[in-house]
Amino acid sequence: MARLRYADAITSALREEMLADDRVFIAGEEVGQYLGTLGVTSGFLKEFGPMRVVDTPISEVGILGLGIGSAMAGLRPVCEMMRMDFAMVAYDQVINHAAKIRYMFGGQFKVPMVIRGPSGVGRQLSAQHSQSLEVLFAHVPGLKVVMPATPADMKGLLKTAMRDDNPVIVMEALRLYFEKPDVLDAILPGLSEVPDDPDFTVPFGKANVLRAGTDVTLIGYSAMTIQCLKAANILAQEGISAEVVDLRTLLPLDMATPIASIKKTHRAVVVQEQWGLYGCAAEISAQIAERAFYDLDAPVQRVTGAFVPMPFARNLENISFPSEHDIVIAAKRTLGR
Amino acid sequence: MAKKPTLDLTKYVRFYEQMVYIREFEELIGKEWNNAAAHGMGGYMHLYSGEEAIAVGLIGGMDLSAGDCFIGHYRDHGYALAAGSDPGEVMAEICGKATGCSKGKGGSMHICDAARGFYGGYGIVGGNVPIALGLGWALKYRNQKNVCACFFGDGSMNQGAFHETLNMAQLYKVPVIFALENNGYAMGTSIERSHANQDLRSRVDSFAMRSVTINGQDIFEVHEQMAQIIQEMKEDPHPVFVEFKTYRYHGHGAADTPVTQSTYRTRDEVARAKEEKDPIKFAQAKLIELGVLTDEMITDIQSRAYASAEAAMKFSDDSPYPDPSELIKDVYA
Ligand SMILES: Cc1ncc(C[n+]2csc(CCOP(=O)(O)OP(=O)(O)O)c2C)c(N)n1
Ligand SMILES: [Mg+2]
Repeated sequence: MARLRYADAITSALREEMLADDRVFIAGEEVGQYLGTLGVTSGFLKEFGPMRVVDTPISEVGILGLGIGSAMAGLRPVCEMMRMDFAMVAYDQVINHAAKIRYMFGGQFKVPMVIRGPSGVGRQLSAQHSQSLEVLFAHVPGLKVVMPATPADMKGLLKTAMRDDNPVIVMEALRLYFEKPDVLDAILPGLSEVPDDPDFTVPFGKANVLRAGTDVTLIGYSAMTIQCLKAANILAQEGISAEVVDLRTLLPLDMATPIASIKKTHRAVVVQEQWGLYGCAAEISAQIAERAFYDLDAPVQRVTGAFVPMPFARNLENISFPSEHDIVIAAKRTLGR
Repeated sequence: MAKKPTLDLTKYVRFYEQMVYIREFEELIGKEWNNAAAHGMGGYMHLYSGEEAIAVGLIGGMDLSAGDCFIGHYRDHGYALAAGSDPGEVMAEICGKATGCSKGKGGSMHICDAARGFYGGYGIVGGNVPIALGLGWALKYRNQKNVCACFFGDGSMNQGAFHETLNMAQLYKVPVIFALENNGYAMGTSIERSHANQDLRSRVDSFAMRSVTINGQDIFEVHEQMAQIIQEMKEDPHPVFVEFKTYRYHGHGAADTPVTQSTYRTRDEVARAKEEKDPIKFAQAKLIELGVLTDEMITDIQSRAYASAEAAMKFSDDSPYPDPSELIKDVYA
């Protein structure tokens, strides 16, 4: 077991898969000579050369087109978006093209590509650089959407994404990138541990019970799973036993795991970083209502970000997305406390 | 060009002063970045040092009170200051304060000043360029004798949005100045490594758009040429593409440290640019030569500029953060 930061897990997954499969290449802004905007591809250009580590102009449409076409032609591209917000510039390539090609041509082609990059709230990055837009991808058949919360999942899910034969969107939590192993392990012992085995992968569509509990189920993904773990620690001090379920992938979505948990706890809180309206938490709550209504002792609670563009001012930013305390309050509400 | 006998020299002394004010403002931010959190600064921070003559000379050639307007990208402090926005309000925005021009909601990348025709700084590379088409269209729609300037970087020219916009702007003959600030780099990527055709001005030839290249370090050339072009655009509405050759002194943003900068440029190159291409030094030498600027005036301007930046910082420091109730305001009109 290695104790890694989330960012190191990205590097490790990319590097191992590039070594294992020479069809894999990375394209994006500043991925090569600059050593990566956030350093995850540091040294890659030197190690793999300019055909496999492609520095691009600021042309997201071109980057994704490069990915889609070369994937159809048999390569396995990893397209880096410097921030996932910038994928919006090339949304058409993802939604109208990558997601459709398999079906529209009756299964004749496949698009084995990864679109990855940091996502979500950073630190005062304001309205155009802080969004967590997974809903826009998870709504669309033909795509897969991966949102890792832990270094091990980051590595294992990214490797699975790179081996998958479909377009996979991997949204990485910027807030978790450089969180130190010690900090993670203080939230939950072993949280930073990543298996050394180069064949370690994490399958899609299998949620993970990160912490067992009996009173209430906290359901999250990506950075919000970490918030749920922090909330569970606070609840524990107040004698409330929370189970934390990390969804890991939104598409495919594993509802069996959270529902099994709810059958035990009879209460659920679903947490999502950004806007709740028409969001992932809404979908998950609806499925719980459909499949586990009679197991519930209280209405499902959603904890979501404020329905506003991200403000810059630190104090406003801090209250715009769910804190562990918001989750604690929601959990207590399900318990009538 | 600068030798024209009609040069309004008092105007150029004012431009010189504005450039020094912007420089001091940016340098103070650069210095205070070490202490960013205490001031409320954070996130990305893109400084304009080295490029001042473009904003000052171009905006100085527009009549903002008569309806001329402009839009920019995230390296936007200088645009606002050149337009005469209150330095305190700009600094307060950079620090996320309630008194900031965008009420602390936008931050450094999203300065604006509606009263002065500044339609804002935008963070998505190339995203502001199509909007300029609409701003220009509105001017033409209302038969206004006005122009709109759109500032963007060399990186923007590799966005599809740029090319769609220029085609339409020429097709509809909108009075927009597409002001390319070609500082040689988009973040850590040089022109050579990102543009198949490195003669950026010639990239717009396919749109049959009027274009010109200007030394962006020479305030005289910037202003004289732009004043002339703006006048012609007002008589006969049409778009113009202007390539300003310039150089950025600081890293791309605060996160672009000397270490990361070493992946794409040498300290020597920066030092040489500061020595040989500085727009302030250039203007200073010229104005001294023309006999309208003295050493005493320079010292006086310097100290007033520094004091202004400090006062802006103090105004910001003394200002409150936005009230939490502000969070949900301004989402809709
Ligand atoms: C669509 C998009 N892609 C990437 C980025 C990240 N980014 C921000 S600024 C920048 C460099 C832009 O350089 P340039 O246009 O030359 O302007 P300069 O910073 O040199 O003034 C990059 C890559 C972004 N903001 N938007
Ligand atoms: Mg540039």
